[in-house]
Amino acid sequence: MNIGWKEIKKNKSRFLILGSIVFLVSLLTMIISGLANGLSQDNAALIKDLPDGHFYMSEDAEETYNLSRIDTDVQNEIMNKHPDAVALSIQMGFLNDQDDKQQSVAFVTSTNSDLFEQVNKGEVIVDRSLKEKGIKTGDRLTNNQLRDELVIKGFVDQKKFSHAPVAYINMEDYKKMYNVEQMQIVFIPGEDSSESFTGLQSYSNKDFLSTIPSYNAEQMSLTMIVSFLIVISGMLFAIFFYMMNIQKIGLYGILKAIGIKTSRLFKMIWTQMFFITIIALTLSISLSHLFNLIAPKGMPFHLTIETTTQLSIIFLVVGFIGATLSGLQIRKIEPLRAIQQGED
Amino acid sequence: MTIFTLDEVEKIFTNGEIEENILKGISLSLKEGEITALVGTSGSGKSTLLTIAAGLQPASNGEVLFDGNNLTTMSAEQVRKIRAKEFGFVFQFAHLVPFLTVEEQLMLMLEVSGSTLSKKEQKNEVDQILDVIGMKHRKNAYPSSLSGGEKQRVAVARAIIHKPKVLFADEPTASLDSKRSKDMMELIRDLTKKMNITTLMVTHDEEMLSYVDRILQMSDGLVLESQ
Ligand SMILES: Nc1ncnc2c1ncn2[C@@H]1O[C@H](COP(=O)(O)OP(=O)(O)O)[C@@H](O)[C@H]1O
Ligand SMILES: [Mg+2]
Repeated sequence: MNIGWKEIKKNKSRFLILGSIVFLVSLLTMIISGLANGLSQDNAALIKDLPDGHFYMSEDAEETYNLSRIDTDVQNEIMNKHPDAVALSIQMGFLNDQDDKQQSVAFVTSTNSDLFEQVNKGEVIVDRSLKEKGIKTGDRLTNNQLRDELVIKGFVDQKKFSHAPVAYINMEDYKKMYNVEQMQIVFIPGEDSSESFTGLQSYSNKDFLSTIPSYNAEQMSLTMIVSFLIVISGMLFAIFFYMMNIQKIGLYGILKAIGIKTSRLFKMIWTQMFFITIIALTLSISLSHLFNLIAPKGMPFHLTIETTTQLSIIFLVVGFIGATLSGLQIRKIEPLRAIQQGED
Repeated sequence: MTIFTLDEVEKIFTNGEIEENILKGISLSLKEGEITALVGTSGSGKSTLLTIAAGLQPASNGEVLFDGNNLTTMSAEQVRKIRAKEFGFVFQFAHLVPFLTVEEQLMLMLEVSGSTLSKKEQKNEVDQILDVIGMKHRKNAYPSSLSGGEKQRVAVARAIIHKPKVLFADEPTASLDSKRSKDMMELIRDLTKKMNITTLMVTHDEEMLSYVDRILQMSDGLVLESQ
């Protein structure tokens, strides 16, 4: 006989309350995770989409890509040694559209590589989000640091840097606009360990991401909120089952007196915890993925099945720990307590 | 035939610095199928003695022997198995499981005792005993909808449905009025006699003593045979 299930059936409202709270907390957690993920995509999709590898910036740049200048000789040395390496530069800037409206973009230029869009002089490929701002293929855009116009060649999906759409431009145009000869960054894809080159410092993908201003601050606060919510949900389970167990000490005593194993009482709590959590999670997963579909375009919300699966497993584990901790008091209950206690 | 023996059982409770010797060397034997009443003033140690005999708490000294087993030296798990299979319990209050129906309470007890009967046979057993205690029509009721007397009858049914060898009852009629107490004693007597169950019962109700075979008087931590 599944006594855990029988109890849920008899005391529906009690378990419904716990279930609703778990549902709300897990939904909130998933929404915030979606937001964290969305924001990080919005902030750094350009970098996040790259394969694992190593970034190099000049040592004197002090982790600021903007200040980094790669010595041309060193760059050539690297490129000779690693044909798949790419040198690139990123600069925040503006493009003026045909109505002279300013669009803030992240200009990106690179040496020949599959990892970055290659464009001819006088052309530009931009992130699709600019299309919604009314920019079309063939439009002629201007930049106040460049005499010639840039023609829109096409659009790419989800290429953002520092919350701005990426604009891929030719290296010659870039050099003219910013009046520099050197590139800022060299990226060598591959799992190999980092190499040392004179005057350069190496960064893993993750380390490089955290040099982007605001990226770390954003992700840390959101991760913090998510962890708090997970801890809170664990405490909810512990407290809820603890309160229920306190009320049932007499009952547990009787059940032990008639010969029920303590392990069976634990199984009863676990059954209840898993039942409630799985229903609550099913609901919050469906709702948060629904939100993923209908979230307003401007809201950076990005939730993957992978993230929700991970969160669900964490919730189940945390719920299990919470319920088990609250159950530890059951082990201590002496069957005879029940006999000395009055009517329940 | 003796089925149950206490030999020089002592129980000492320590409350801080104070040691209280509640049971001071109690020896007694229960004969198979007999109902033995344990009487005495409140606080004389009746419940303590009963729970030690039933394996619900250990004795400080002495031995508890049941059917060739020494409960004093067994592991907690072995004692639990004996409690589940061979003992039945009725307490002052029914202590039914609030979220199980009358039928489910009894099915659970059969399951806990390790019954080898099929589900269908178990249900038949339950029906039979509910018929005997006159509760068949309330089989799907939850405890909260039963009267005190009805609950206590279900508690008696739960205590004996698995055909235990010994029934332990601690003031089973204390929560009932005089008429219902007598009905309850008749029920316990009928059932235990029919099923050859040995009974040890604590009571301080003089009226109930006419239903028992033997009376033991507790006083000052010792047991005296009365009459
Ligand atoms: N766990 C315990 N710890 C300390 N003292 C106890 C404990 N259980 C019972 N006592 C004491 O033992 C005495 C006998 O209790 P009990 O067996 O319940 O008596 P009765 O059932 O005859 O009224 C009482 O004075 C009681 O306070
Ligand atoms: Mg008592």
